Amino acid sequence: MKIKLGLPDGIGSGIEGFQKLINFAENAKQHQFASLEIDLSGVRWLDANMCSPLGAILYKISRKPNAVSLAGLSQKLEKILSKNGFLAAYGREKIPDTYGTTIEYKRFEPADERYFASYVETHLKGKGIPPMSAALRKKFRESIFEIFSNAVIHSQTKFGIFSCGQFFPVKNRLDFSLTDLGVGIRENLKQMAGLDLPAAEAIQWAMEGKNTTKKGAIPGGLGLKVLREFITMNKGRMQIVSDGGYWELNAGAVNTQSFSVPFPGTTVNIEINTADAASYCLASELSPADIF
Amino acid sequence: MKNKLTIKAFEIVGSKFCVSSEDGNRLYQQIADALRQKKRVDVSFLNVESLTSAFLNVAIGQLYGNFSEQDIRGGLTVSDMQDDDMALLKRVVDTAKEYFKDPEWIKAVRKEVLGDADAK
Repeated sequence: MKIKLGLPDGIGSGIEGFQKLINFAENAKQHQFASLEIDLSGVRWLDANMCSPLGAILYKISRKPNAVSLAGLSQKLEKILSKNGFLAAYGREKIPDTYGTTIEYKRFEPADERYFASYVETHLKGKGIPPMSAALRKKFRESIFEIFSNAVIHSQTKFGIFSCGQFFPVKNRLDFSLTDLGVGIRENLKQMAGLDLPAAEAIQWAMEGKNTTKKGAIPGGLGLKVLREFITMNKGRMQIVSDGGYWELNAGAVNTQSFSVPFPGTTVNIEINTADAASYCLASELSPADIF
Repeated sequence: MKNKLTIKAFEIVGSKFCVSSEDGNRLYQQIADALRQKKRVDVSFLNVESLTSAFLNVAIGQLYGNFSEQDIRGGLTVSDMQDDDMALLKRVVDTAKEYFKDPEWIKAVRKEVLGDADAK
């Protein structure tokens, strides 16, 4: 017998969207060895990049194990999620992305860093992915790599890393999400630095100064700060959801909030302003002789 | 300091994207081998289009845990870097110097593993 689980409407890149996903995950986690039909008939809008946290949650449910299927999609939603490859995991064919506005939904293993690099290059090349300046394209690409590396180094994920992106041409916005199903920033901070902070404060800690949980022969602690600086300069938006914490950067201002039930991993969402013409060259006076 | 050796990052990594820690470690090994032999090394980033702090932490930041600042400054140069990449490398280097200057983790490990009473 199939058990029906409804996915709520309005899964956007913000605190409400994540709260809905957390509620859904919490409701689903009790099931094991079951046939679960995820009912999307109530979903009129879902930000395509949010396929990353949604896919991660569904993957975790299916690994319990459960047989997961999707049903009730509107034609419009079916088309969007077939274009970005999300539905390929649920028995649908991927359809061509004629205007090239999607960054395909994919699951990676932590060891796939090189494969991930070629995936990013493929999806930022040509097509409709926006006519960004060369400098912006470079910074965006590097930001995505930094997020991926961060997940590889810190998450301890056993279930992989899930990525997806979407370009909104009218708004000049490009959204990208990366989710891991690892221990979360709070637990990582506790294990590696002995700091037991509430989840939102743990994210804030990771985003500031030279803070790092790295130990051993290789230093660290720059990736998320570089990302934050770029998003601030670009006048973009960024959210990090990890464990029970929500951290958002919007117009240079930070807002943190807490969830009463934790998200089962970490998602980093970035939204960049593709019309930005800034050069991002910050080092005109720096010469190679000054570096070491 | 004797013969100068040019190491091409693109060649070591085999890609225009210097982004993975594993690739960073390959470059680190080459630089470290040369510095141990007291060779002068130039790392060329010609044709490299993207660099991350994760890569540079492993490839270059790690050197500060195994070589003196003086040895690195005297033995290592970089070339063919884009301005923003050079700025990122500078930050990686500054962070590494600080990380290895006051390594709390080293003190903690000494205290835990060796029972070192002097470790604070």
